[in-house]
Amino acid sequence: MDSLREVVRDAAGDPVFLAGALVAAGAAVVMVTRRNPVYAALWLMLCFLAVAVMFLKLHAPFLAAIHVLVYTGAILVLFLFVIMLLNLTTKELGEEHSPPAKALAGVVCGLLFLFLAASFLKGASDGAPFRELETVKVSVGTSKLTIAPEDWGGVSHVGSELFGTFVVPFEIVSVLIVVAILGAVVLAKRKL
Amino acid sequence: MTKYLILSALLFSIGAYGVLSRRNLLLILMSVELMLNGVNIALVAFARHQQNLDGHVFVMMVMGVAAAEVGVGLALLIALFRSRRIVDAGELTTLKESP
Repeated sequence: MDSLREVVRDAAGDPVFLAGALVAAGAAVVMVTRRNPVYAALWLMLCFLAVAVMFLKLHAPFLAAIHVLVYTGAILVLFLFVIMLLNLTTKELGEEHSPPAKALAGVVCGLLFLFLAASFLKGASDGAPFRELETVKVSVGTSKLTIAPEDWGGVSHVGSELFGTFVVPFEIVSVLIVVAILGAVVLAKRKL
Repeated sequence: MTKYLILSALLFSIGAYGVLSRRNLLLILMSVELMLNGVNIALVAFARHQQNLDGHVFVMMVMGVAAAEVGVGLALLIALFRSRRIVDAGELTTLKESP
Protein backbone atom coordinates (compact mmCIF):
# COMPACT_ATOMS: atom_id res chain seq x y z
CA MET A 1 0.00 0.00 0.00
CA ASP A 2 2.88 2.33 0.80
CA SER A 3 4.36 1.92 -2.65
CA LEU A 4 0.93 2.63 -4.21
CA ARG A 5 0.67 5.88 -2.24
CA GLU A 6 4.20 6.74 -3.32
CA VAL A 7 3.36 6.18 -7.00
CA VAL A 8 0.17 8.26 -6.77
CA ARG A 9 2.09 11.12 -5.15
CA ASP A 10 4.83 10.80 -7.77
CA ALA A 11 2.30 10.93 -10.63
CA ALA A 12 0.32 13.79 -9.09
CA GLY A 13 3.47 15.90 -8.85
CA ASP A 14 4.11 15.53 -12.58
CA PRO A 15 1.39 17.33 -14.57
CA VAL A 16 2.83 16.46 -17.99
CA PHE A 17 2.87 12.75 -17.15
CA LEU A 18 -0.62 12.96 -15.64
CA ALA A 19 -2.11 14.71 -18.68
CA GLY A 20 -0.36 12.38 -21.12
CA ALA A 21 -1.36 9.25 -19.22
CA LEU A 22 -5.00 10.35 -18.92
CA VAL A 23 -5.20 11.18 -22.64
CA ALA A 24 -3.51 7.89 -23.61
CA ALA A 25 -5.71 5.71 -21.38
CA GLY A 26 -8.92 7.63 -22.18
CA ALA A 27 -8.32 7.57 -25.93
CA ALA A 28 -7.50 3.85 -25.73
CA VAL A 29 -10.75 3.07 -23.91
CA VAL A 30 -12.78 5.11 -26.41
CA MET A 31 -10.91 3.43 -29.28
CA VAL A 32 -11.71 -0.17 -28.30
CA THR A 33 -15.41 0.63 -27.85
CA ARG A 34 -16.06 2.48 -31.14
CA ARG A 35 -18.12 0.63 -33.74
CA ASN A 36 -17.04 2.85 -36.63
CA PRO A 37 -13.44 1.90 -37.57
CA VAL A 38 -12.63 5.44 -38.79
CA TYR A 39 -13.39 6.91 -35.38
CA ALA A 40 -11.40 4.12 -33.73
CA ALA A 41 -8.38 4.89 -35.94
CA LEU A 42 -8.55 8.61 -35.10
CA TRP A 43 -8.80 7.91 -31.35
CA LEU A 44 -5.86 5.54 -31.68
CA MET A 45 -3.94 8.39 -33.30
CA LEU A 46 -4.59 10.58 -30.25
CA CYS A 47 -3.42 7.74 -28.00
CA PHE A 48 -0.20 7.33 -30.01
CA LEU A 49 0.56 11.05 -29.77
CA ALA A 50 0.19 10.84 -25.97
CA VAL A 51 2.56 7.85 -25.98
CA ALA A 52 5.09 9.98 -27.91
CA VAL A 53 4.84 12.56 -25.09
CA MET A 54 5.69 9.76 -22.63
CA PHE A 55 8.77 8.93 -24.71
CA LEU A 56 9.87 12.58 -24.53
CA LYS A 57 9.39 12.50 -20.75
CA LEU A 58 11.58 9.38 -20.63
CA HIS A 59 14.42 11.16 -22.43
CA ALA A 60 13.94 9.37 -25.73
CA PRO A 61 13.56 12.25 -28.23
CA PHE A 62 14.60 10.22 -31.26
CA LEU A 63 12.17 7.41 -30.43
CA ALA A 64 9.38 9.95 -29.92
CA ALA A 65 10.05 11.36 -33.39
CA ILE A 66 10.10 8.00 -35.17
CA HIS A 67 7.09 6.87 -33.13
CA VAL A 68 5.07 9.75 -34.57
CA LEU A 69 6.46 9.11 -38.06
CA VAL A 70 5.98 5.33 -38.10
CA TYR A 71 2.81 4.87 -36.05
CA THR A 72 0.70 7.95 -36.69
CA GLY A 73 2.34 8.70 -40.02
CA ALA A 74 2.53 5.27 -41.63
CA ILE A 75 0.60 2.58 -39.76
CA LEU A 76 -2.56 4.58 -39.02
CA VAL A 77 -2.64 6.05 -42.52
CA LEU A 78 -2.42 2.47 -43.81
CA PHE A 79 -5.40 1.59 -41.59
CA LEU A 80 -7.41 4.56 -42.86
CA PHE A 81 -6.44 3.69 -46.42
CA VAL A 82 -7.68 0.11 -46.00
CA ILE A 83 -10.91 1.31 -44.37
CA MET A 84 -11.45 3.57 -47.37
CA LEU A 85 -10.58 0.75 -49.78
CA LEU A 86 -13.03 -1.70 -48.16
CA ASN A 87 -15.81 0.91 -48.08
CA LEU A 88 -17.81 -1.07 -45.52
CA THR A 89 -21.54 -0.69 -45.15
CA THR A 90 -23.13 -0.91 -41.70
CA LYS A 91 -24.22 -4.49 -42.44
CA GLU A 92 -20.74 -5.51 -43.60
CA LEU A 93 -19.22 -4.28 -40.32
CA GLY A 94 -20.58 -7.51 -38.89
CA GLU A 95 -21.96 -8.28 -35.48
CA GLU A 96 -20.31 -7.81 -32.12
CA HIS A 97 -20.11 -10.12 -29.13
CA SER A 98 -23.07 -10.12 -26.73
CA PRO A 99 -22.86 -7.82 -23.65
CA PRO A 100 -22.22 -10.74 -21.24
CA ALA A 101 -19.27 -11.89 -23.36
CA LYS A 102 -17.90 -8.33 -23.38
CA ALA A 103 -18.32 -8.08 -19.61
CA LEU A 104 -16.42 -11.36 -19.21
CA ALA A 105 -13.60 -10.00 -21.40
CA GLY A 106 -13.61 -6.82 -19.29
CA VAL A 107 -13.30 -8.81 -16.07
CA VAL A 108 -10.46 -10.92 -17.49
CA CYS A 109 -8.54 -7.83 -18.66
CA GLY A 110 -9.23 -6.00 -15.38
CA LEU A 111 -7.70 -8.94 -13.52
CA LEU A 112 -4.76 -8.91 -15.93
CA PHE A 113 -4.19 -5.22 -15.18
CA LEU A 114 -4.48 -5.72 -11.43
CA PHE A 115 -2.01 -8.60 -11.57
CA LEU A 116 0.51 -6.59 -13.62
CA ALA A 117 0.13 -3.45 -11.50
CA ALA A 118 0.44 -5.42 -8.25
CA SER A 119 3.61 -7.13 -9.42
CA PHE A 120 5.10 -3.78 -10.49
CA LEU A 121 4.22 -2.23 -7.13
CA LYS A 122 5.66 -5.22 -5.30
CA GLY A 123 8.88 -4.97 -7.28
CA ALA A 124 9.16 -1.21 -6.80
CA SER A 125 11.80 -0.60 -4.19
CA ASP A 126 11.07 3.12 -4.10
CA GLY A 127 9.19 5.89 -5.88
CA ALA A 128 12.49 7.68 -6.25
CA PRO A 129 13.04 9.70 -9.43
CA PHE A 130 15.39 8.46 -12.10
CA ARG A 131 19.10 8.86 -11.47
CA GLU A 132 20.79 11.79 -13.17
CA LEU A 133 22.09 10.86 -16.61
CA GLU A 134 25.82 10.49 -16.93
CA THR A 135 28.17 11.14 -19.81
CA VAL A 136 28.69 7.93 -21.76
CA LYS A 137 31.35 6.88 -24.22
CA VAL A 138 30.38 4.75 -27.20
CA SER A 139 32.51 3.39 -30.00
CA VAL A 140 31.37 2.52 -33.51
CA GLY A 141 34.03 0.70 -35.46
CA THR A 142 37.13 2.79 -35.04
CA SER A 143 35.48 6.10 -34.09
CA LYS A 144 34.70 6.98 -30.51
CA LEU A 145 31.87 9.27 -29.41
CA THR A 146 31.21 11.01 -26.12
CA ILE A 147 27.50 11.46 -25.41
CA ALA A 148 26.68 14.35 -23.07
CA PRO A 149 23.71 13.86 -20.70
CA GLU A 150 21.51 16.26 -22.70
CA ASP A 151 22.17 14.23 -25.87
CA TRP A 152 21.19 10.95 -24.21
CA GLY A 153 18.72 9.06 -26.41
CA GLY A 154 19.33 11.45 -29.29
CA VAL A 155 20.11 10.58 -32.90
CA SER A 156 23.88 10.16 -32.45
CA HIS A 157 23.49 7.98 -29.36
CA VAL A 158 20.78 5.70 -30.76
CA GLY A 159 22.49 5.60 -34.16
CA SER A 160 25.82 4.53 -32.71
CA GLU A 161 24.13 1.72 -30.77
CA LEU A 162 22.01 0.65 -33.74
CA PHE A 163 24.90 0.54 -36.21
CA GLY A 164 27.46 -0.67 -33.67
CA THR A 165 26.27 -3.36 -31.30
CA PHE A 166 22.95 -4.11 -33.01
CA VAL A 167 23.88 -3.96 -36.67
CA VAL A 168 23.01 -7.62 -37.39
CA PRO A 169 19.47 -7.48 -35.86
CA PHE A 170 18.96 -4.20 -37.74
CA GLU A 171 19.79 -5.87 -41.04
CA ILE A 172 17.53 -8.83 -40.20
CA VAL A 173 14.61 -6.44 -39.59
CA SER A 174 15.17 -4.97 -43.04
CA VAL A 175 14.91 -8.50 -44.51
CA LEU A 176 11.72 -9.07 -42.49
CA ILE A 177 10.17 -5.89 -43.88
CA VAL A 178 11.07 -6.84 -47.47
CA VAL A 179 9.42 -10.26 -46.94
CA ALA A 180 6.35 -8.53 -45.46
CA ILE A 181 6.09 -6.18 -48.46
CA LEU A 182 6.29 -9.12 -50.87
CA GLY A 183 3.73 -11.04 -48.80
CA ALA A 184 1.35 -8.09 -48.74
CA VAL A 185 1.63 -7.63 -52.52
CA VAL A 186 1.02 -11.32 -53.21
CA LEU A 187 -1.89 -11.58 -50.76
CA ALA A 188 -3.68 -8.45 -51.95
CA LYS A 189 -3.39 -9.27 -55.65
CA ARG A 190 -6.67 -9.97 -57.34
CA LYS A 191 -5.56 -13.12 -59.15
CA LEU A 192 -2.58 -15.14 -58.00
CA MET B 1 9.55 4.61 -12.85
CA THR B 2 6.61 2.64 -11.46
CA LYS B 3 4.08 5.14 -12.79
CA TYR B 4 5.29 4.50 -16.33
CA LEU B 5 5.11 0.75 -15.80
CA ILE B 6 1.53 1.05 -14.51
CA LEU B 7 0.56 3.16 -17.54
CA SER B 8 2.12 0.51 -19.76
CA ALA B 9 0.16 -2.24 -17.96
CA LEU B 10 -3.03 -0.18 -18.39
CA LEU B 11 -2.55 0.29 -22.13
CA PHE B 12 -1.67 -3.40 -22.53
CA SER B 13 -4.83 -4.46 -20.66
CA ILE B 14 -7.06 -2.11 -22.67
CA GLY B 15 -5.55 -3.53 -25.86
CA ALA B 16 -6.15 -7.07 -24.61
CA TYR B 17 -9.77 -6.12 -23.91
CA GLY B 18 -10.08 -4.87 -27.48
CA VAL B 19 -8.67 -8.11 -28.88
CA LEU B 20 -11.01 -10.24 -26.74
CA SER B 21 -14.22 -8.23 -26.98
CA ARG B 22 -14.32 -7.13 -30.62
CA ARG B 23 -15.16 -9.18 -33.70
CA ASN B 24 -14.22 -6.59 -36.31
CA LEU B 25 -10.79 -7.61 -37.63
CA LEU B 26 -9.74 -3.98 -38.18
CA LEU B 27 -10.39 -3.18 -34.52
CA ILE B 28 -8.56 -6.34 -33.42
CA LEU B 29 -5.45 -5.29 -35.39
CA MET B 30 -5.64 -1.78 -33.90
CA SER B 31 -5.89 -3.25 -30.41
CA VAL B 32 -2.78 -5.35 -31.06
CA GLU B 33 -0.97 -2.11 -31.97
CA LEU B 34 -2.13 -0.64 -28.68
CA MET B 35 -0.73 -3.62 -26.76
CA LEU B 36 2.63 -3.25 -28.53
CA ASN B 37 2.67 0.44 -27.55
CA GLY B 38 2.09 -0.44 -23.92
CA VAL B 39 5.10 -2.75 -24.02
CA ASN B 40 7.18 -0.05 -25.74
CA ILE B 41 6.56 2.39 -22.87
CA ALA B 42 7.80 -0.22 -20.38
CA LEU B 43 10.92 -0.88 -22.48
CA VAL B 44 11.79 2.83 -22.70
CA ALA B 45 11.15 3.31 -18.97
CA PHE B 46 13.51 0.44 -18.14
CA ALA B 47 16.12 1.86 -20.55
CA ARG B 48 15.93 5.23 -18.75
CA HIS B 49 16.09 3.55 -15.35
CA GLN B 50 19.11 1.40 -16.21
CA GLN B 51 20.71 4.16 -18.34
CA ASN B 52 21.14 1.54 -21.03
CA LEU B 53 20.14 2.16 -24.62
CA ASP B 54 19.34 -1.49 -25.45
CA GLY B 55 15.68 -0.78 -24.69
CA HIS B 56 15.53 1.93 -27.34
CA VAL B 57 16.93 -0.42 -29.97
CA PHE B 58 14.43 -3.05 -28.89
CA VAL B 59 11.56 -0.57 -29.33
CA MET B 60 12.77 0.09 -32.85
CA MET B 61 12.73 -3.64 -33.58
CA VAL B 62 9.17 -3.79 -32.21
CA MET B 63 8.18 -0.93 -34.52
CA GLY B 64 9.66 -2.77 -37.50
CA VAL B 65 7.82 -5.98 -36.62
CA ALA B 66 4.59 -4.01 -36.02
CA ALA B 67 4.85 -2.38 -39.43
CA ALA B 68 5.40 -5.77 -41.09
CA GLU B 69 2.54 -7.30 -39.09
CA VAL B 70 0.09 -4.54 -40.06
CA GLY B 71 1.11 -4.75 -43.70
CA VAL B 72 0.51 -8.50 -43.92
CA GLY B 73 -2.56 -8.39 -41.66
CA LEU B 74 -4.30 -5.73 -43.71
CA ALA B 75 -3.41 -7.53 -46.95
CA LEU B 76 -5.03 -10.68 -45.53
CA LEU B 77 -8.04 -8.61 -44.51
CA ILE B 78 -8.39 -7.23 -48.04
CA ALA B 79 -8.08 -10.72 -49.53
CA LEU B 80 -10.71 -12.01 -47.09
CA PHE B 81 -13.08 -9.14 -47.83
CA ARG B 82 -12.72 -9.69 -51.59
CA SER B 83 -13.66 -13.35 -51.42
CA ARG B 84 -16.22 -13.38 -48.58
CA ARG B 85 -17.40 -9.75 -48.07
CA ILE B 86 -16.86 -9.98 -44.30
CA VAL B 87 -14.51 -8.39 -41.76
CA ASP B 88 -16.06 -10.27 -38.85
CA ALA B 89 -13.82 -12.75 -37.01
CA GLY B 90 -16.90 -14.63 -35.78
CA GLU B 91 -18.03 -15.35 -39.34
CA LEU B 92 -14.58 -16.52 -40.33
CA THR B 93 -14.95 -20.29 -40.21
CA THR B 94 -13.03 -21.40 -43.27
CA LEU B 95 -9.81 -20.39 -44.98
CA LYS B 96 -10.64 -22.15 -48.25
CA GLU B 97 -11.31 -20.03 -51.28
CA SER B 98 -15.05 -19.68 -51.86
CA PRO B 99 -16.31 -21.10 -55.17
